Amino acid sequence: MPVEFTREQLGEVTRLQRLYPDRGGALLPVLHLAQEVFGYISEDVEKYVGTLFDLGPAHVHEVVTFYTMYFRRPRGRHVLSVCHNLSCHLMGAQEIIAHLTSRLGIELGETTDDGRITLLTVECLCACEMAPMLQVDDRYEGHLTVEKVERLVDRLA
Amino acid sequence: MEFHLINHPLDCPVCDQAGECWLQIYYMKHGLYEPRMTDDKVHKPKAVPLGPHVILDAERCILCSRCVRFCDEVTRTGELGIFGRGDRSEIGLFPGTELANKYSGNVVDICPVGALTDRDFRFQVRVWYLESQKSICPGCARGCNIEVHVNRRRPHHAQGRRVVRLKPRFNDAVNKWWICDEGRYGYGFVDDPSRLTAPLRRVGGKTLDVSWTEMFTLVADGLRRYTADEIGVIASPKMSNEDLFLLERLVDGLGVRAVDYRVPPAQPGDQDDFLIRADRNPNSRGAELIGLGRSDARAILNAARDRRIKCLWVFHHDLLASAWPEGEVLDALLGAETVIFQGTNANATSAHAHLTLPAAAYPEREGTYTNFEGRVQRFRQAFEPLGQALADWESLGCLLQAVQGAGRPSRAEECFRALAAAVPAYAGLSYRSIGDGGQMIATGSP
Ligand code: SF4
Ligand code: SF4
Ligand code: FES
Repeated sequence: MPVEFTREQLGEVTRLQRLYPDRGGALLPVLHLAQEVFGYISEDVEKYVGTLFDLGPAHVHEVVTFYTMYFRRPRGRHVLSVCHNLSCHLMGAQEIIAHLTSRLGIELGETTDDGRITLLTVECLCACEMAPMLQVDDRYEGHLTVEKVERLVDRLA
Repeated sequence: MEFHLINHPLDCPVCDQAGECWLQIYYMKHGLYEPRMTDDKVHKPKAVPLGPHVILDAERCILCSRCVRFCDEVTRTGELGIFGRGDRSEIGLFPGTELANKYSGNVVDICPVGALTDRDFRFQVRVWYLESQKSICPGCARGCNIEVHVNRRRPHHAQGRRVVRLKPRFNDAVNKWWICDEGRYGYGFVDDPSRLTAPLRRVGGKTLDVSWTEMFTLVADGLRRYTADEIGVIASPKMSNEDLFLLERLVDGLGVRAVDYRVPPAQPGDQDDFLIRADRNPNSRGAELIGLGRSDARAILNAARDRRIKCLWVFHHDLLASAWPEGEVLDALLGAETVIFQGTNANATSAHAHLTLPAAAYPEREGTYTNFEGRVQRFRQAFEPLGQALADWESLGCLLQAVQGAGRPSRAEECFRALAAAVPAYAGLSYRSIGDGGQMIATGSP
């Protein structure tokens, strides 16, 4: 796939850049847009986004490697982000993680061979009241048990 | 301090920066010598070449970001970045690129620790064995202020090189804190095996060592043998103001008119809007002001080809590596009855000389250059000349004495004083007033 935005997407880039006194401020939202469009932030995407900001690729790379929400490798159709910070840990996050890795046959940070699920751990998502919890794509799921996780995985296409 | 050292290797004895490392200095001053850190240190890539001149040890980096800023703000090439975050942050290049801008060596100077080191210098010799002398880079017409770092105390290190590295010396008006890579690594000729170390005379197919006394007589006799119009002199913009002034006196006294210093290089030099000048000579301006551009070097060679010029005296140039057709130059060198070559290193042109006068290289002597803006700057002697080599002003002073019976200057400063008295552009200048920062030639000069 050629790494290039469509005209509408470029319009969105300009709109985002105008929101900030220094258009560089729009780098993060533009990278999110790029991630949506191209699936993940490859080196080519970094170079391309750099050209939209007159930034060298090294500087885009700095930003992309600093934040955890940019994917630098292709990700699955769904992303499971299991919280393993304090509350979730105390409430059994390790068990959930162990179950998911063996059930999906992948390590943390990996994607299943069929490209269905990418499994990650994250720090506190500010939903300690429903610990242990995870995030499926944009949705929170809490009060997890092995059975609940099982059902959840089954439902993901 | 303790935080800095959490992940920093504590192995200064094997680090090339030791002795000039700010982290080491602060640690020695304020350090808690017994580390309280019990966890394993974070490991990062070591000995990663970033480009032709710079090598990275990411574990020693303290993430000050000076090198990143240098590439962003000074060269505006933006190669370097800090990737990742927290204790895993590390300096690096965008994948697949290298740090190869024309000023890359400067990041080594501004890196306060042993994270960025010089591929040319690292592990050659410990810095505390080095001595330093103020000098001027002879690499182009900018005349960047430099320090020559000399290794005399450990001659068995650094393959016996005396000059082990050049460092920029701050001069706000010329080069600020920087020098280009070409200048930084351009000192190789000083300790090169091609150096000329003894006066040589070629008779037939044989080359004989002669003493300087014999050499001066030979050259003086040679010059006397020809009429002024039979002599051609190609001076060099690599010579100092002092050298050029004595040469000017000599040719003036002899009435020689075929004198020039301009020889175009085979490859025209590049130039940028920062430091590098297309003219790769340190003293073209001086040669012009002192009046060595009386004629046209190519016309001189043509005259030698036509046997009108019989004695050709070439300083430093390798005419056979110039922009002129090789055949044309060769005919001129073979056409002249007497070819005199004076220079620091042997080259294709010196191979055709009948008389060869070895010259001291710039760290072996003192003098001044006039940069393209008209700034006169002093370079000083860092060590003795190799073999019997003499500074050009010294040998020219002896020749002046032999040919014209003039008094022989004993110091470069004396030559400069005479120059300041004789050439209006240099009026009022002295070694003292030039000082370490240089001084502009008199206003109103060309
Ligand atoms: S960088 Fe400095 S403190 Fe670090 S190991 Fe080298 S000399 Fe020691
Ligand atoms: S200058 Fe040296 S210590 Fe500072 S960020 Fe660059 S590599 Fe690290
Ligand atoms: S610790 Fe998991 S949501 Fe706060």
